[in-house]
Amino acid sequence: MSSDSERFAEAEDGGPQPEKHCGHGRGGMGEDVKRKEDQRFITGRGNYVDDIKKPDMLHCEIVRSPHAHARIENIDKSRALDVDGVVAVLTADDLREYDLATMPTLMADTQDVLVNDKVKFQSQEVAAVIATDRYTAKDGAQKVVVDYDVLEPVVDAEASLEDDAPLIRDDIEDKEDNHCLDWETGDEEATAEAFEEADVTVTEDMLYQRLHPAPIETCGAVGDYDPGKDKLTVHMTSQAPHIHRTLFAQVSGIPEHKIRIVSPDVGGGFGNKVPIYPGYVVAAAASYVLEQPVKWVEERSENIQSTGFARDYDMTGELAATDDGEILAVRTDVLADHGAYNAVAQPSKFPAGFFNIFTGSYDIDTAYGSLTAAYTNTAPGGVAYRCSFRVTEAVYLIERMVKVLADELGMDPAEIRRKNFIQPEQFPYESSTGWNYDSGDYEGALDKALEMADYDHYREEQQRRIDEDADKLLGIGISSFTEVVGAGPGKTCDIAGVEMFDSAEIRVHPTGNATVRVGVQTQGQGHETTFAQIVAEELGMDVEDITVEHGDTDTDPYGLGTYGSRSTPVAGAAAAVASRKVREKAKAIAANELEAAEEDITWDRESGEFHVAGAPDRSVTITEIAAGAYMNHPSSEEPGLEAVNYYDPPEMTYPFGSYIVIVEVDRETGEVEFEKFVAVDDCGNRINPMIIEGQIHGGLAQGIGTAMLEHVTFDDNGNVTGGDFMNYLLPTSMEIPNFETGHTVTPSPHHPIGAKGVGESPTVGSPPAIVNAVVDAMSHAGITHVEMPMTPDTVWAKLDEAGLATDPADSISLEFEDQSSDTTADD
Amino acid sequence: MEFSGEFELEDVPPEKAWVVLSDPIAVRNSLKGCQYITPMDDDFGFDDYEPEEDVETLPEADPEDVAARAFVESQEYAALMQVGVGSVKPRFETSVTINERDHDDFIMTATGSGTASGSSFSMESGMQIYSLEDSEGSRIEWWTEADISGRIAQLGSRVINPVANKIVGNFFSDIEQQMSDVEETDSGITDRIRGML
Repeated sequence: MSSDSERFAEAEDGGPQPEKHCGHGRGGMGEDVKRKEDQRFITGRGNYVDDIKKPDMLHCEIVRSPHAHARIENIDKSRALDVDGVVAVLTADDLREYDLATMPTLMADTQDVLVNDKVKFQSQEVAAVIATDRYTAKDGAQKVVVDYDVLEPVVDAEASLEDDAPLIRDDIEDKEDNHCLDWETGDEEATAEAFEEADVTVTEDMLYQRLHPAPIETCGAVGDYDPGKDKLTVHMTSQAPHIHRTLFAQVSGIPEHKIRIVSPDVGGGFGNKVPIYPGYVVAAAASYVLEQPVKWVEERSENIQSTGFARDYDMTGELAATDDGEILAVRTDVLADHGAYNAVAQPSKFPAGFFNIFTGSYDIDTAYGSLTAAYTNTAPGGVAYRCSFRVTEAVYLIERMVKVLADELGMDPAEIRRKNFIQPEQFPYESSTGWNYDSGDYEGALDKALEMADYDHYREEQQRRIDEDADKLLGIGISSFTEVVGAGPGKTCDIAGVEMFDSAEIRVHPTGNATVRVGVQTQGQGHETTFAQIVAEELGMDVEDITVEHGDTDTDPYGLGTYGSRSTPVAGAAAAVASRKVREKAKAIAANELEAAEEDITWDRESGEFHVAGAPDRSVTITEIAAGAYMNHPSSEEPGLEAVNYYDPPEMTYPFGSYIVIVEVDRETGEVEFEKFVAVDDCGNRINPMIIEGQIHGGLAQGIGTAMLEHVTFDDNGNVTGGDFMNYLLPTSMEIPNFETGHTVTPSPHHPIGAKGVGESPTVGSPPAIVNAVVDAMSHAGITHVEMPMTPDTVWAKLDEAGLATDPADSISLEFEDQSSDTTADD
Repeated sequence: MEFSGEFELEDVPPEKAWVVLSDPIAVRNSLKGCQYITPMDDDFGFDDYEPEEDVETLPEADPEDVAARAFVESQEYAALMQVGVGSVKPRFETSVTINERDHDDFIMTATGSGTASGSSFSMESGMQIYSLEDSEGSRIEWWTEADISGRIAQLGSRVINPVANKIVGNFFSDIEQQMSDVEETDSGITDRIRGML
């Protein structure tokens, strides 16, 4: 496997070069090809799980606990079963007969499919009602009578670790507290020394609040067991169909070849559709037992309240530096809320994900981080919401702390970054917490962003407003982030034991077009276009002649799925390598067609044709070669023209960028308005700039939601008070400013096409830029931090604390004074 | 969540107010969304029970009937309440136990709990009727402490409080009207009922 990767990783023209490929008019690398999938999406022909209808299909409704912590004393199904059309009511007792009462989480914890004994979070799944239609299922669910012995809940991680906190996980043997796990990274002693010796140290507490990825399509499944074939098909909203098939096989005992997972069109995943949820299992189990298709689709509030949340890291950051701003050490301590089960979705050897990338874009010799995670009576989660496993929290920490340090030293935040950046010649760069950065030019991206933002002008304008005691303050925030994406390699990264490689299979058909199947799955990223462009580039085909398929475990090669920006870095590499394998065989066929020796055949990237060295007019196209492969194949080769590659990446990729956000802060209302929003990204070689632009826009919108609006909140009784779109605020077009995007190109040296992945950079990179901007508007008055979400009341409280808030009454009396003084002057 | 309040009825003496507030039918009629309040025995089923229609209350009702159905200390009552809060309209199957009924000081306390699809609550409530110092009327104090779980609670106090206040406000203005009706038409009936309680 890896020898293939090595053999084909190097293109014959010397490997990845910046923007060397330019599509050649066939829709290859670098062309703004319109998205193939949009034809069906914009004409209403998408096929989502809830669009699937089967003959005799039943519907499932989940009965959920209104309590956050309660022992179930009795469940009375009788009244529900009396409802006409209710076929079955399932509880944990029924599932236990099939050994399905519990299921493993991705972190090897054991979660109840339906509550076995004790409810551990509000909206946990207690029973399931199966009925002939959706409405009847809902009616039936209302008739399931559950007697609860209500227990005291604890919804706060700090409170849950106190001695007198109620014990949540009494299902774990000998468990006496709510402690979930400890983790540390770096060199504690050396870091402590660096802090002692430093000229300056700064510290700041910050909460990366609980968010929900909130895909617009909620989770759902259609379980469809075929007793004739003894085969279980599950259509489900899955970001990772193959690994879900493996887990289904392990949990259910049904052999893996008798299970087919189909992930059809998926309306947004953002990490929320990586875990397996009880609803999927119930729909599949009910179908298996009843031998009829069973559909389960969540409502909005069910999605927000019971499926994987993100973040909830309560962090303390510290930096040690010299007087002139050289960062010597970084230290952090985190209290993580994992909810009722340890169900974070990340590679199993990384209990805190890739959080130890918290040295960021900076050359910092010494670092130490520690983390404690707690169980609480809240839904399990900690999924990677549009990011690579806790990179978002890490980037927020370091980018916020750099601003805190800059303010402490009175330095320009751009200058302090420049002073500490890892320099281009230092790559490949090994960080003090063990990451191996592939490539970067951080100053290049920052300089471009500063220029686009007209930085110096706004700094002057900011000072002018302070001097003139203006009603609206100006704040300028910078974030120069680095991500780590594209997990594997398999030796370090696995999901439930399966190595994190990915795959692509290319079949070139006799008439010269091709079907490409990939192991990753799209939730809106544009895979059907992007992967076609990679193959078009590498085979000299027209992008229109390539169809990309994904999301069906019966036909696609095994892959680990789409999350953590791994599609392009891993499956994209597989597509390039598989293309190059096809190209090798194509040379043999070309030699046969052109009656030349195989070693004399060369491929011309520009024309996409194969020709005899030194005789460019003696050439054949891939279409002619395809015909030859099936109709006139050389005796030295098998007929046909296809290849598959399972790509185990040698390293991860490190996309980066610099974002500059300029805000106006209203001293009277605490409202924040975006004046300018500049995003410069470097994702290595770019496949489809238009899709990248769309990705950046969407991610920035989510970053604004994070910084300004979103927070899953609870009351003391464990009720979710931010559990629907009335109370959990997503940004709309009204809150989104105009974005100015730019890019630099620093290819990944180890990736076959030099690409790095980009879909998550804006969600990861933008929140600290926005918070830094709001803080910057008040930092002259001593404010060092504002917690997210920065709602007007939060910001106003900070303005008030800094003595910057104005009262509406003051501004009215001020006008009076102005008028009277004018009058006096006139007199 | 805690709710409490008081109101005055200038022309209704405490004895009469007590009789009206002791009548489950009168209370039901004033409580918006309440379909019935009825004694609950072991065989009671919310699905099967059908309340009697058009039951008369004072002053039209037979005093003996009113006395017979009055709240009894330690008795458990079933109540069906449908409340619209924001986008949800749960139908609460509620059981309420009268813990205390003090005929002399006009104190009544109750505990109860209700469940509906996706929501539940438990509460402790009480009321006491005082005489007004400067007239024959009454001052009625009431209080409720409620623990709410599930969908309704998720809407938060911002949404729940106005609904609760509206129900309580409606209840007392309606019950006040009932009491005034009783007061205007007859003065002997309530004394008779009090004697029978």
